[in-house]
Amino acid sequence: MASPQLLREVDSVDTQLDVHMEEDVGDLSNGFQRSSPSVNDEGSQSQPKQSNLPNGLRKSGRKHQDYIKISVPEPKNRLPLEWWKTGIAFIYALFNLVLTTVMITVVHERVPAKETSPPLPDKFFDYVGRVEWAFSISEINGMILVGLWCCQWLFLRYKSIAARRFFFIMGTLYLYRCMTMYVTTLPVPGMHMKCAPKLHGDSQAKLQRILRLISGGGLSITGSHILCGDFLYSGHTVMLTLTYLFIKEYSPRRFWWYHLLCWLLSAVGVVCILVGHEHYTVDVVIAYYITTRLFWWYHTMANVQTLRSSPQNYLSRSWWNPVFCFFEKNVQTQVPCSFSWPIAWPPSCFKSSCKNYSMVQSARRQ
Amino acid sequence: MKKVVYWSSEEVSNWLAEEGMPEYTDSFQRLNGEDLLQLTEADFKKPPLSLVSSDNGQQLLNKIETLNIEHHIEAHKNGHANGHLIKGNDGDVGSKAKRNGMPNGFRNEMVQIHMPMPEKSHFPMEWGKTALAFIYALFCFVFTTVMISVVHERVPPKEETPPLPDKFFDIFDRVEWAFSICEINGMILVALWLIQWTLLKYKSIVGRRFFFIVGTLYLYRCITMYITTLPVPGVHFKCSPKLLGDWEAQMRRIIKMIAGGGLSITGSHTMCGDYLYSGHTVILTLTYLFIKEYSPRRFWWYHWICRFLSVVGIFCILLAHDHYTVDVVVAYYITTRLFWWYHTMANQQILKEATNTNFFSRVWWYSAFQYLEQNVSGIVPRNYQLPFPWRATPFSRNVKYTRLDT
Repeated sequence: MASPQLLREVDSVDTQLDVHMEEDVGDLSNGFQRSSPSVNDEGSQSQPKQSNLPNGLRKSGRKHQDYIKISVPEPKNRLPLEWWKTGIAFIYALFNLVLTTVMITVVHERVPAKETSPPLPDKFFDYVGRVEWAFSISEINGMILVGLWCCQWLFLRYKSIAARRFFFIMGTLYLYRCMTMYVTTLPVPGMHMKCAPKLHGDSQAKLQRILRLISGGGLSITGSHILCGDFLYSGHTVMLTLTYLFIKEYSPRRFWWYHLLCWLLSAVGVVCILVGHEHYTVDVVIAYYITTRLFWWYHTMANVQTLRSSPQNYLSRSWWNPVFCFFEKNVQTQVPCSFSWPIAWPPSCFKSSCKNYSMVQSARRQ
Repeated sequence: MKKVVYWSSEEVSNWLAEEGMPEYTDSFQRLNGEDLLQLTEADFKKPPLSLVSSDNGQQLLNKIETLNIEHHIEAHKNGHANGHLIKGNDGDVGSKAKRNGMPNGFRNEMVQIHMPMPEKSHFPMEWGKTALAFIYALFCFVFTTVMISVVHERVPPKEETPPLPDKFFDIFDRVEWAFSICEINGMILVALWLIQWTLLKYKSIVGRRFFFIVGTLYLYRCITMYITTLPVPGVHFKCSPKLLGDWEAQMRRIIKMIAGGGLSITGSHTMCGDYLYSGHTVILTLTYLFIKEYSPRRFWWYHWICRFLSVVGIFCILLAHDHYTVDVVVAYYITTRLFWWYHTMANQQILKEATNTNFFSRVWWYSAFQYLEQNVSGIVPRNYQLPFPWRATPFSRNVKYTRLDT
């Protein structure tokens, strides 16, 4: 191959150069005034060492492996994927969903019977009579929104970061929902509601109910919404609002028609919950409030970098702040709205991985 | 300017005022220029001048000297001392320096060196905005009272709708005197906060924030109370009879409630239906947050006392079976979140602008917030001062330190 020869040639040239230099004892090429060696020795600390070579060419550069490395700051990856964190968030969300289901089953036992405890007075119910098929509309809208969000998520470039956030926020909202459901049990909002009979300690049957609820996603369309008592606050509203917020946040701004469509789906879905008399108005209002606040809070903390280091950041007083820091520690900037194909396009496998651009690299390798 | 010798007493007093020595104008009322020039140090050692002058007249004598020099030089019209070539008497308009008979740099009047004005205060008082916030809070309080009176008419009677199942009520039985403890704690906390507020230096800014947050919380409370009415949490409740359209009696009830502050101790808490969410929790939590925020960090014992009062108060609300647990939980959540949200926005300049990354700007009250806080730049320092000026002391004395003190 040519290279070893080249090496030898260069080497020999170098040697010649060295010899030439040493012979000539080229004072002038040094660029510094050459005083007598003794003086130089004394002053050697202050002035650069005399090396008999032209300025900048070091004698030790004879071997080509000893190049001087100029360290270029490597571009740090400001948006690392870290799929394992997303995995943890997913497990957290799953755990909270299961906990909610268990809680619904527990609360169901405590719901007062319709006859003894009539539905509470509700302003919306006073004005708008019940429409039977409204709740199905709400659930269909919810399913469409979740489907859209899933599709959109597949095309995001930074899937893991967006998914992590979605799972964490959803998990926390359901956790809050567990707490509010459990502490106080509201009666059924309407006499039309058909609640499954109480089980009074039959754990086996309860477990079956839990599984049925999980598998149906808690929707009445799938026939799994037979338990009552989970009124404060409304999980349907949470899903409708949250998917809309995520869709809007992680899609390009110019798709205003898409945002409008999703907003309509979400709003109609929420109103239909009330029209169907499936939740009290206060359930929906509180659910909307908590969802939007949590979403905005989380995303502002994640996007505004100065907040993280500021001592006057009161947002860090929330209980989930350590978890937030864990998830978002390495995300340095706002997640850009960029999309990529979900799977790598086949022809890219055939491209050669690295083009050689410099002789140094090639010389090094051999 | 005519020579000092020819000055009248009026011109003397004008000159004194110009030079920043107004304290002599009274004593020199009858002095003219000639007398001025004849003042000596000895004159300042005797009354009346010794009473007026703080430095034995040194400053004044120096200034008189200066005056003398000015006049002397002008009189001699010393062209060369000016440092510039003088072309001719008919004067080059374009010449650099006008001949004024003074040595270089010496001008008749004082030259004002333009000092950069001290910056506008970072924390302007703006009591007008505080007044607006106060009116807003007042309006929300009155609105809440009206709402309670409206909702009272819709509360289902105890017999028809029993109290809802509540986990806390299952575990703890009712204790009768607990609610009084809660209200006493609330009153103590409010009093402490009020005292602390009067001692703050930036009262108006902090007051503005308190009124705005409390007003918004009560506004939210109006909404949640109105839309769904929860039944009474316990059979022990004594709810006033429903009025069913009797406006006058309702008005009287409203006024009675406002006058009593909505507390049972004062006997104004006779209406039912205002359960979701709990106003007592709001006040207990909010006063504690404000007390902690605007007091020095080293008063940790003070913070602990207030926290203890607050927690015990909230616990006692539940112990007395006066609110459902969910009312208290939701009230705590909304209060803390709103407080932290507002203060984070107020303390970070970057969050005061509505940008794409700033999701905080999407709350409905953002424009109100911007109006209230736009001139406050930075974190309000925890400075204290007595509310009344401490001036009536013989100890304060104005000592002048510089001649230029005008």
